[in-house]
Amino acid sequence: MKVLIVTMYHPELVRGGSQQVAYELFQGLKQAPGVEPVLLCSTDLNSPAMFKSGARITGFDQRENEFLFLSHDYDHVWQRLPWPRQAEAFAGFLRRIRPDVVHFNHFMTIGIDYLTLTRRVLPDARIVFTAHEFLTICAAEGHMLRRTDNSLCEKASQVRCHQCLPQRPPEEMFLREQWMRTHLAVVDYFTVPSRFMIDVFARWGLDTARFRHVPNGQDMLPRVPEAVPARRNRFGFFGQLVDVKGVSVLLEAVQILRAAESPPFVVEINGENIHFASPEKRKEIESFLEEEARRPVLEQRVRFNGGYHHDQLATRMARVDWVVVPSIWWEIYGLVMSEAWHFGRPVIASNKGGMAERVRDGVDGLLFEIGDAHALAATMHRAMTEEKLWETLEAGITPPPSRADMVQGYLAAYDAALMVQA
Amino acid sequence: MKQRAAGKANKAAMQPAPEQGFDEQTYLRLNPDVLMAVAEGKFQSGREHYEHYGRAEGRLATTPGGLPRDRIIITARPGQTQEVPRAPHAAVDYVYLSSAGGLYVSGWVDDSLDRLETVELYVAGWSVAFSAAGLVRVMRPDADEVAKLRGTHATGFWGFIYAAQRLPLGKCNAVLRLKSGVELAFIATIAPMDDMALRDLMLKGITTAPYLGPRYFAASAALGEMIGEQLADFNRMLTRRAVSAPYVERFHQPGRTPKASIIVCLYGKPDYLPLQIALFARQAGMEAYEFIYVSNSPEMAEAMQRCARIAHLTYGLDITLILLSTNAGFAAANNLAATHARTGRLLFVNPDVFPKEEEFARRHLALLQDWPTVRTDLFGAALYYDDGTLMHGGMYLEADTLPGFALGRKQDSTILRVEHYGKGAPGEEPDLLRCRPVPAVTGAFISTERGWFETLDGFSEDYIFGHYEDADLCLRALEAGRPAWMTDLRLYHLEGKGGVHLALHEGAATVNRVLFTNSWLELAEGGLLGVAPEHPALRETAS
Repeated sequence: MKVLIVTMYHPELVRGGSQQVAYELFQGLKQAPGVEPVLLCSTDLNSPAMFKSGARITGFDQRENEFLFLSHDYDHVWQRLPWPRQAEAFAGFLRRIRPDVVHFNHFMTIGIDYLTLTRRVLPDARIVFTAHEFLTICAAEGHMLRRTDNSLCEKASQVRCHQCLPQRPPEEMFLREQWMRTHLAVVDYFTVPSRFMIDVFARWGLDTARFRHVPNGQDMLPRVPEAVPARRNRFGFFGQLVDVKGVSVLLEAVQILRAAESPPFVVEINGENIHFASPEKRKEIESFLEEEARRPVLEQRVRFNGGYHHDQLATRMARVDWVVVPSIWWEIYGLVMSEAWHFGRPVIASNKGGMAERVRDGVDGLLFEIGDAHALAATMHRAMTEEKLWETLEAGITPPPSRADMVQGYLAAYDAALMVQA
Repeated sequence: MKQRAAGKANKAAMQPAPEQGFDEQTYLRLNPDVLMAVAEGKFQSGREHYEHYGRAEGRLATTPGGLPRDRIIITARPGQTQEVPRAPHAAVDYVYLSSAGGLYVSGWVDDSLDRLETVELYVAGWSVAFSAAGLVRVMRPDADEVAKLRGTHATGFWGFIYAAQRLPLGKCNAVLRLKSGVELAFIATIAPMDDMALRDLMLKGITTAPYLGPRYFAASAALGEMIGEQLADFNRMLTRRAVSAPYVERFHQPGRTPKASIIVCLYGKPDYLPLQIALFARQAGMEAYEFIYVSNSPEMAEAMQRCARIAHLTYGLDITLILLSTNAGFAAANNLAATHARTGRLLFVNPDVFPKEEEFARRHLALLQDWPTVRTDLFGAALYYDDGTLMHGGMYLEADTLPGFALGRKQDSTILRVEHYGKGAPGEEPDLLRCRPVPAVTGAFISTERGWFETLDGFSEDYIFGHYEDADLCLRALEAGRPAWMTDLRLYHLEGKGGVHLALHEGAATVNRVLFTNSWLELAEGGLLGVAPEHPALRETAS
């Protein structure tokens, strides 16, 4: 079985959860008997050196079966590319590769209409579609987070979507929905990393019989030796510094703890891509960090470590006791929680979406009210002061899904898609 | 503006002959206000005042035999005795001449007491006189301020005439002739202007100018006299020019013979090409249709080509792309597209229209087989809003009448209005979805037999940009004894979202409404008005 994985960004060019999953899957499928995987990752002008004159699809760094789709001028309103040559190059690529399964791991920067193009070029191939967020339903970056009041959105509609994006009239939102449904209609099988997503898509009208829950899995490096600390008062944030990840909730919790003269603690921020944050949040975070840096060393509570490579994760994790996931959106899966558990770190997370689905409150982590800095501060206070809490939760951790687990999940999805054909 | 208006005022000159037997001292004695004005240096003499104003005002200039005893002698018009005599304020602001011979003049005059009769332009080699009745009169608060008027009179004016020939530019003598015979003369420069820019200037002005009285009626009344027809002629020339050299590109599958042609006129939003085709393409049986997209927006030509190429590749449907060098309007663009159709069935569809039902494509073709041709020569469909309510279940005519006194005119003013059956009604009203003959159907979706469409000479290109040409087509069909039919085919229509809407389009709609009224008021009043017209052509047994 030949499987073409199409995804947004190569993880070695632009970091991100969905591309990391795609790459893990690609690597895992190489080991699966009878499976021949091919990877097509987009790149855009964030990596201008990858662009070769006149080319639309190229190889990548002499890697076998890894290709780059050179995307530019992507239309984020209609989620499509405006360039015929790229569509033609994609069609030609499909004809050359002739996969049995085309797995769209993420369509952004490529185009939702490439689903239909794939069906037209390869009518016998099966199409598998993975949703890593709700971009097909929600025009506000697929977060289903209401921009009117930052509440979580349970249901999209043309008027509600217009309220989030007032510059787009309800009719346009209706058209967007029709446009998305049109292209999703060619999908044979859907996968989602969290179960609650199936309910959301079901409410949107898709057939849940064509959905499969495939948790994201990855192989991780072993833990590094570490000394047992005297107190479990070190908290870590790992992730992109974009608004929905909730860094500002964590920083506000730090302010609250500091004002309450809590016992000493430290918060380590590990992450990058702050340039994708909104200007307001970026300023808020940067101002906080600058002010923190001006404090005497012993009074500093927050350290900013910057981005990290996968190889550095073990050492970064070794520096903290708890991993905080303060996301203010659904946090579809939260790969960082898998990483935390892999390294034996209990998780303190918001109580919605993928976080609520995965964290067993009081067993392998603690949940707090989403977006509530006071609740987070109270939870952090409890975490660093309650005797034996850390040890109890650490003992409750079960190993997160591995790469092999995930590969088995996707192979089952591919089989199901091929059954649709039969 | 105020500066310019003020600067051009008070330059009036007039040439009545001097009064025989005029006596300076007697005139000043009988008209003390003039005596004061002369003393203040506003006039050089009583004679100057008399020649400019006094005669027109009916002032006494002589007293043969001295004053009669014990009688009041009226020496000036009531109400004017306290006023210092002055020239009527006026200005000619702009004279534009386009290369094709469109001539536009605008200005203002305080003619509340002495009515404007003509605006005359004298140029070396040609001259023209605009009748005041054919001018559009608008409010000019800037001029009112300069002239210290109360703003209760429409002092502004503009006029337009289409000469249909190239005329020389230069300086001109502009004369405003008032009813009293007074001539207010100005020297004006005729400025060149692009034909389309001139049309758009007027169309925008029609809808944005402040009027004395209800805007729509005031504009319609003014346009109805002359400018409407002149503008239509001028626009017809621009339209012919726009469709004379189209760029045509075909994206066709070899060997395919479609049965019906979907013709879509795009304006301003190229995205609607791939969006619409995607939503049609998911229908079973769409390979029996071809698409013809005609673009009235030259600036989006390249985007249209890209969209068409991607759409053909992605959906595999035949697409013909027609690009126009300028906006030819809905009617001319669709007429041109019809000549490129490869089938005998034309569907005129707006870019924001797409099927609501899964079986639209097949059911439409089945209707052509199953129904008598008299019903399928020209028919419409039930159109729905995005919210699921009905947007269109056919169209009917209404007439709006404004009493003449409200416009300061002798005659009442009537204009036709086109309404949709069932606008906003729940989506499943049986009466509205019933197949039946109707006065008209919207141009957002018309399916017509090509031969019948050609017999009717297609859409009338008299209408500017869009609006009313659909009803016009249907009424011509009705007049010929084969009215439009409504079917229960169902599509969405995201009305007004598929194109760009500017103020000048609103002006064009105003002109079109006047033209439509001029063409169809008589027929409409003969049994076609209201939601249940009794016109014999609409009896279902007639079909």
